[in-house]
Amino acid sequence: MTSPRRLNVPLPATVRADPRGRPLAVDGRAVDAVRESWVVEDRWWTDAPLRRRYWEVVTTRGDLLVLFRELDQVGGWYRQR
Amino acid sequence: MVVAVLLPRFELVIAAGGREVLARGPAALAPEPGREQRVGEVSSSAEAFGVHAGMRLGEALARCPSLALIPPDPMGVADAWDKVLARLESAGAAVESEAPGLAFFDAAALARLHGGRAADDPAAALRARMSAGGAPPWLAGVVTAVRAALRLPARIGAGPSRFCALAGAVRARSRRAELVDGAAALAGEPVALLRRRPEVEALVRPLERLGIGTLGQLAALERPVVADRFGRAGELAYDLALGRDSELKPRQPGEVLEEVLELPESASGVQLGRALVLLVDKLLARRERDGRTLRAVVLGARLVEGGTWRERVVFREPLADATRMRLALGQKLVMLPAPAESLRLTVERFGAVSAGAHALFDDGSAQRTARMREAIRQARAVAGPEAALRVLEVDPDSRVPERQAVLAPYEL
Repeated sequence: MTSPRRLNVPLPATVRADPRGRPLAVDGRAVDAVRESWVVEDRWWTDAPLRRRYWEVVTTRGDLLVLFRELDQVGGWYRQR
Repeated sequence: MVVAVLLPRFELVIAAGGREVLARGPAALAPEPGREQRVGEVSSSAEAFGVHAGMRLGEALARCPSLALIPPDPMGVADAWDKVLARLESAGAAVESEAPGLAFFDAAALARLHGGRAADDPAAALRARMSAGGAPPWLAGVVTAVRAALRLPARIGAGPSRFCALAGAVRARSRRAELVDGAAALAGEPVALLRRRPEVEALVRPLERLGIGTLGQLAALERPVVADRFGRAGELAYDLALGRDSELKPRQPGEVLEEVLELPESASGVQLGRALVLLVDKLLARRERDGRTLRAVVLGARLVEGGTWRERVVFREPLADATRMRLALGQKLVMLPAPAESLRLTVERFGAVSAGAHALFDDGSAQRTARMREAIRQARAVAGPEAALRVLEVDPDSRVPERQAVLAPYEL
């Protein structure tokens, strides 16, 4: 029997962003529009707090993507959908 | 000849994590959350303060202000006790046990197995019968075999009935088994011994208040008088004082089938309900179940605040229907006193393979479900266990997408 697997697990993404952190290109595809942006802060009461800046963007190819950037020291970019 | 195996303060020792903790000072098992506020088993140093098991918490603390309350661990106790019973069964005993720490079995059934030559010697048996109060010659061999199987310091008593054996086990202090051979040997025992039997536990105080301090004094009364004053419980206490007790009902040793779900983010409420859904599905999907229905299960949880919680659920009829199981178990889960770190579901008793229940008006849904089930089985046989999965919402309101849903086995 397999154990349950999480869905929507974040995948590393290559993102080029402007100095303010706004994505300009995702995995080589230019960003056409930013639909929404929000911040998620969770588990701040634990030893592994979670701080992410989310971006919902549309690429020039018409893909709707949800990205986030870790706001801690690591600071990597990830694709979630 | 019934033999009683007594492991004193078993629940307390397991919950405390060892006997060393009890040596530090008076300790007692705290009441289970949400249950009646009475202490559980108490250490010997707490007994010296006049505290006993079943005493109200307030009274216990008033008698012994330094009393350490140890959080109960019903899940750990059940596991540990099951191991002890399995060891007894490995020696060939058909064991009956109503509560952790105390087990009974019929020693005569083991006489030829462990009794040595004495078990086959009719002359020795006759001599033992002739000498009043003497133990059968094979008993020592059986007790030695049981001690070797247990590998734990246990008090062992023997007698013609369950209660006599219990009195012997309570009296036993050395490595020798104590034999209590009927009413005469019981006469000197205090009526407090009746506390060991839940049915007559409540009679101890009234009897003591009436000046009846020993079982001999109780047995000296007339049966109708005791029945008139205490009813059915009085009759039972009277029978026990005379050394009579009901027949043993040994348990049927069975296989263990259980599923555990770790909950890294201590869960409660809706989230816990989702975990239960997953747990039921995982248990029903286990290959070892082999199409059998479930009659009784045990739902347990390890609590964030320490300690455990355990609830036994007997289904109205044997079933293997996830929806109905969830419905029955969900009602118990509401009683969970604190957020849980892990949730465990164990099958205690199986029912028959397919309960044989039929709908009054068959609308074909059962047939469709059976076909679907067969299709899933075949798909899994061809493409592996991950061939049929479903999306299960675990925490749909979470702001972190990866926590919202998981892929779980698809079960009908």
